[in-house]
Amino acid sequence: MRFQRFLQIPLFALFLLLLGLAAYPLPSWLPVDLFLRLDPLLSLGSMATARAFIPRVAWSLLVIGLTLFVGRLFCGYICPMGATIDFADWVSGRKQKERMRNSFEASGRFRNFKYLFLVALGGTTLIGVSSIFFFSPLSLITRFYSFVLWPLALMTANLILDTSRFLFPWIGMKELAFFRFSVPVFNTNLFVGSLVVAILALGLIRSRFWCRNLCPAGAIFALFSFRPLFKRKVSEGCTNCGLCLRSCPMGAIGEDFVATAHSECIACLKCREICPEKAISFKVARKAPAPVPEIDLNRREILSAGLTGVAAAAVAMTNLNHLHGAEAPRALRSSRLIRPPGALPEPAFQARCVRCGECVKGCLTNTLQPVWLEAGITGLWTPKITARLAGCEQNCNVCGHLCPTGAIRPMDLEEKKFAKVGTAHIIKSRCIAWEQDKKCLICDEICPYNAISSQLVPGRPVTVPVIDENKCNGCGYCENKCPVIGESAILVEPLGELRLATGSYQEKARELGLVFHAKAGVEDHFILNAGEAYERSIQRSPAVKDKEGVIPLPPGFVPE
Amino acid sequence: MDKREMNRREFIKRSAACAAYATAGMALSGLVGPYAGADQAPDIVLANGSPGPAAWAAVKALGGMQRFVRPGDRVVIKPNMSFPNPPDWATTTHPEVVRALTEMCIKAGAGSVLVLDNPLRNPELCVERSGLKAACGDLPQAQIEGITNRRFFEEVKVPEGKALKATMIMKAVLEANVLIAAPVAKSHSATGVSLAMKGMMGLIYDRMAFHLDLDLDEAVVDLCTVLRPKLTVIDASRLLSEGGPGGPGKVIKLNKVIASTDMVAADAMAVEQGTWYGRKFKAKQVKHVRIAHQRGLGNLEVKSQIVKEVSA
Repeated sequence: MRFQRFLQIPLFALFLLLLGLAAYPLPSWLPVDLFLRLDPLLSLGSMATARAFIPRVAWSLLVIGLTLFVGRLFCGYICPMGATIDFADWVSGRKQKERMRNSFEASGRFRNFKYLFLVALGGTTLIGVSSIFFFSPLSLITRFYSFVLWPLALMTANLILDTSRFLFPWIGMKELAFFRFSVPVFNTNLFVGSLVVAILALGLIRSRFWCRNLCPAGAIFALFSFRPLFKRKVSEGCTNCGLCLRSCPMGAIGEDFVATAHSECIACLKCREICPEKAISFKVARKAPAPVPEIDLNRREILSAGLTGVAAAAVAMTNLNHLHGAEAPRALRSSRLIRPPGALPEPAFQARCVRCGECVKGCLTNTLQPVWLEAGITGLWTPKITARLAGCEQNCNVCGHLCPTGAIRPMDLEEKKFAKVGTAHIIKSRCIAWEQDKKCLICDEICPYNAISSQLVPGRPVTVPVIDENKCNGCGYCENKCPVIGESAILVEPLGELRLATGSYQEKARELGLVFHAKAGVEDHFILNAGEAYERSIQRSPAVKDKEGVIPLPPGFVPE
Repeated sequence: MDKREMNRREFIKRSAACAAYATAGMALSGLVGPYAGADQAPDIVLANGSPGPAAWAAVKALGGMQRFVRPGDRVVIKPNMSFPNPPDWATTTHPEVVRALTEMCIKAGAGSVLVLDNPLRNPELCVERSGLKAACGDLPQAQIEGITNRRFFEEVKVPEGKALKATMIMKAVLEANVLIAAPVAKSHSATGVSLAMKGMMGLIYDRMAFHLDLDLDEAVVDLCTVLRPKLTVIDASRLLSEGGPGGPGKVIKLNKVIASTDMVAADAMAVEQGTWYGRKFKAKQVKHVRIAHQRGLGNLEVKSQIVKEVSA
């Protein structure tokens, strides 16, 4: 096994480990989004779109700096997408003989695409629309492993657990007797999977087809690895057998076997390993032969690509469903689009969100889901709270701490409680207490903030749920637990959400008179909505007599 | 599971005895009759003191755990750990009470002690934040689990059920020799109070049907015809007087632990010891307790029973 694999495989394992650790409880001392921070496209792209320096993803600048000395080392050693592609290429088992025309010159047909993609993405960024998530390798691959492979891995683990459960008491593993992984579900997973599978399938045409031709992050590295410190050297011993040329995963070797396109070379050292004459070495050198021209772009191509990007962004912005930064903001937001707590105001949020899926993967309750086109074309894969599936746990703040670009603000638990994401409201025509006189208090029971109370109202024989909107922070447990089949009878909608770019949510909430933590012993546990008749509630003041002079009983109690 | 029934003769006998005590002016309080008999185990024990010692004292006064747990038995303790709230909210059973019960079972020779509940919220968070994991985690024979997966439940018929005909119950409970109910005393927005009987709903899979399709109070009693704890220990060290079941709400310090072999009697005692929604109630005013009494599941007449008050 060559040197590359000794680094690439452990680093890929680290990528998977960190992705696995992106969960509740989050190890705060560990940068679990490490690999995302290293992707220069993701980093520079999100900074450019957000028009802000984002320190957390500035780590990629170090990687770019490193590239100046060692070339596209990232692609060959660090990139999990690269490792996945290498694995797929290895599985597909295409042998060298089929790759006769693998020289830099002969395989260059699509090579410029990555630069043009990069320029086009620059164009969209200029307008302020983020589209890097379509092409950022780390965004693509993190989504893939999170949304597609993670649930499959857990299902497999459960299968193993269930089939061997009878063994556990005998081998002293009683802790596993009731253990089962809960398998998360993800929106858009088939699409995410198809995209990555398509990228892997391109490997049937050429190895690392994506890395050579399409990856704009690779393009950034290529631009910085024109003349790296370490260069490929071919000695006099070369017999022109062509083995190196045929086996180069990047097609970086020129037709004369000597010239090396260092913008393509990922320093995997395969050529050095495979050379029967041991004629190839990588050394510090001032000059080395390179194919001419190495990057074959003309001004017209660059301009067209840039303009295409600008135009595409402009068209996206004039799309009906575009939510932010358009000519005039419109109220076309979906009423079911609930953003995670601490999400920046929508324009800044969409500009920064790189759709990596870390927050979605890390979400304790699985309520965060990537959306399709609910937030407009440019909002693809942005996270939303899907309360019908699960509520947002009040004691969890993982999503904000996972976001590499700060699209979701990291908050402590107390602050998060005040980051109101929306307000629940009851669809009375669907509610079985309001509509069918059923004694249902589930939303009242579950509400962690005591925003829902069951009240007796005139004309209703049973208590019905009533919401105090100032106590509701939109966590969605009510919507989740509502027993009605299909769409819930109590829905969280964005009305009242707090989206702050800076400043304290607690202060803002206090300013607005919101109360999210009713303390033990508070008198106003059952609060009536303003304007509602005081005597409606028997629970709030049981001592108050009704019209007949009788003290009404709380639910569950009967007269003596 | 044991079926403790009281025949009419015994009922009259005890009522008369109690009345005699009362008229003799020997009662310590309006509610609690003193216990003078030496041999006979009391029907209800009222232990005063901090949660752990009070639980020990209460069970001891009932005859000790060895009365209920034989060596090698598989024991299931059913506390309330439905919410990820700290103990002082009084929405979950005090960790010290559960710890004490677990230790007692182990001391009595239990083969295994499972502390089980089907929590309303995320199970890991519930066992962690209620303090129950920390309380029992270090005892090697004990295991605490919040079980929510359908795979671990089994369909059981409810032959005596009026509203509830069948339901899915935790397999581990069905396989156990001994079931101990260890609820916290708290109010409940649908059933008035949530004590031992209502707590049995934490051992089944589908609670929805109770709220949706069934008369909740009747269904709770139906469930208790198939889930009958040998021992009920109610943690009334503090009581969630209103705002239940999830809290936060008004918490009243009582410093009591109530124990009985009759879950209805224990519930009745807890109802009458506590203040609910700012008022005092008779046990028979709680609908599901009254139904249980009427259907012969237990005895809610606290005054007619032998009550022993101890201090720890």
